[in-house]
Amino acid sequence: MTDSPPLPALRIRGLAKTFDKPVIAGLDLEIAAGQLYALLGPNGAGKTTTLRMVAGLAKPDAGTIHIFGVDALRDPLAAKAITAWLPDEAMLYDKLSPLEYLAFVAGLWRMDPQYAAGEADRLLHWLDLWEQRDTRCEGFSRGMKQKVALAGALIHDPQLLILDEPLTGLDASMARSVKDALRAQVDAGKTVIVTTHILEVAERMADRIGIIGGGKLLAEGTLDELRESAGTAGMTLEDTFIRLTDPAAHAVTAI
Amino acid sequence: MRGAGAGATQIIGALLALAWLALGCTIAWALRDTPLPILPEVRVAVLGISIAALTFMTAQAMIGSQRTLYENGDLALLFSAPIPERTVLLAKLLGIAGTIALTYTMLLLPIIVPVAILGHPRLFGLVALLAAIALAAAAIGLALTLTIATLIGPRAARTVGQILAALVGGAVFLGSQLLSHADRRGGATIALFERLRADGLGTEGLSGLPGQAGFGDPLAIVLLLGGALFLFVGAGATLQRLFLSGYQDGSTRLSRSKPTGRASGRLFHARLTRAVFAKEWRLLVRDPALAFQIVLRLVYMAPLLFVAFGRGNALPVPAVLAFGSVLIASQLVGSFAWLAVSAEDSPDLLAVAPVAKDEIDVAKLLAAFAMAAPFAMLLPIAIALQTPVGAVITLIMTALGGAAAGFVELKLGKPGQRRTFARRRSGGFVAGILSLLIAVVFGGGAALGVWLVSGFTGMLRFS
Repeated sequence: MTDSPPLPALRIRGLAKTFDKPVIAGLDLEIAAGQLYALLGPNGAGKTTTLRMVAGLAKPDAGTIHIFGVDALRDPLAAKAITAWLPDEAMLYDKLSPLEYLAFVAGLWRMDPQYAAGEADRLLHWLDLWEQRDTRCEGFSRGMKQKVALAGALIHDPQLLILDEPLTGLDASMARSVKDALRAQVDAGKTVIVTTHILEVAERMADRIGIIGGGKLLAEGTLDELRESAGTAGMTLEDTFIRLTDPAAHAVTAI
Repeated sequence: MRGAGAGATQIIGALLALAWLALGCTIAWALRDTPLPILPEVRVAVLGISIAALTFMTAQAMIGSQRTLYENGDLALLFSAPIPERTVLLAKLLGIAGTIALTYTMLLLPIIVPVAILGHPRLFGLVALLAAIALAAAAIGLALTLTIATLIGPRAARTVGQILAALVGGAVFLGSQLLSHADRRGGATIALFERLRADGLGTEGLSGLPGQAGFGDPLAIVLLLGGALFLFVGAGATLQRLFLSGYQDGSTRLSRSKPTGRASGRLFHARLTRAVFAKEWRLLVRDPALAFQIVLRLVYMAPLLFVAFGRGNALPVPAVLAFGSVLIASQLVGSFAWLAVSAEDSPDLLAVAPVAKDEIDVAKLLAAFAMAAPFAMLLPIAIALQTPVGAVITLIMTALGGAAAGFVELKLGKPGQRRTFARRRSGGFVAGILSLLIAVVFGGGAALGVWLVSGFTGMLRFS
């Protein structure tokens, strides 16, 4: 008797979405469980649209999305129960404190109150928000708001954590604590997908990297695999990224 | 779709403005050879309207000042540009004056200007009077806002300004309703005018200036417009330091940092409804100005109650109370539901949660019910003293009316940032009409039911 292969954290097949023009055009993507996956691409490539469809915030025109084997389009509530979404603008209520916000999120995910309260205490301590637990979020810096939102995303113990530009606008210290938090999730066996324009972050943190452009997956693999496929061995991810996403710019550089 | 809707609204607005102007031109043509006698009563009326307009505009200017200071976000750019601070302040003040005068301008000028052009040039004085009131109100509104902000902080200034504006609006409306209601009983308005005229108010001295300026007295125009300009420029010259510090305070002191010290476990609830209610309740009580505005909506239902309780009305009191109960419940539940939906800061959080939208809607409706319940229960309790069966009928109809009004708001409301909520209230026009219809239908049903029950009980007693 052989073990069946583990379910991928995310499997996307033939995903398509058109607004004024096609944004996603038949995207196929598979992300294995237990890794930090960076989804890169130039502005307007369709990264955020893809992840919003995975999170259940937009409906695709065509294609399928499975999260740990759950069909996210047919059974969205089951898929949402194991997923967390963290956009670049934190989804907070300015007049609630972090603790009150976490209580509301726990209520939405129908968590056991006692367990949720314990998790909230743990997360607030871990993210260095304990002192501000009763302070309304309206006066918080962008970094602090992002940490509160991260606590909200983690409180229900999601199997898949999706973050859209999580480090934009954070200072070095805040960015470090968010990165540490994400790495800790992966170490605990969870799957994390991030989009970022900060290629250095992807280079240092990601187990695998996907590069998306024109609504399709242009390249995917570890950093070394990407360099190899782009013919940029020994060069930075930035060089690899530019070569894969903008051949014209590469041609100019070469000239 | 949205663009098409906005385009249609603009076209309808332009057509209405043209129709209004055409009406003004027709009136002007009809009056072109008719002398307009300026009676003392008219001067008293001009004084009264000027005071009311100044009060209204000052309240609006306070809100405009708060938006300029704490919400618009263009002050950083203006203050960083090579423009003197005084110029920035005067430009902003002029913007506030223009905004607060806009409604009055749209209503008055298309009528007044054609009449003035076609044979009654003295009426240009009303334009000068309007400009003077707007300039003075802008200066006073900004000065009040900055003074309150300096004394008790920008957060309190914002709340106080919003509550004052709501109070002024409600008081003027209620006053006008009381006057017109009393007038039907015994000419109270005329008596008041006679009294004011006898005292010389509105016709002589300083109090006579608005009436004189409004009808073209050059000296009165110079005095009023000059005084308003003096206030306006004086505000620009003297308030710039306070304005700058008010702006800087706004970005640093608007948040509350006092810990509540509550035990964390008590905040967590197992049921979705409780979690939603707790969140909505906290957001409401932490925005007193908004809560106040909602409760103040009851004031705007006063005319219906005046009609119901008016002299010669044959309806028994319990039936009127039953109608009032449904009216209050439908308005309040509708308002709270509208608030819960339309002032939702994080619609995406709800969308990514493993909860069906209908469940969230029901939870929000229940939260709205719970918030309105203390007000909605008062009249059924009063009815129960006279007819317990009638009270039960009222309660049922109140619940149905409230649920229907809340449901309408849930279906028609669109989520948006809470801080921009006050400006988006006009979007609920259709919902407002529907909720009024609901109140009339269910309220009428309740009144009829209670009236029948009261009559039946009366017959039993009689037999």
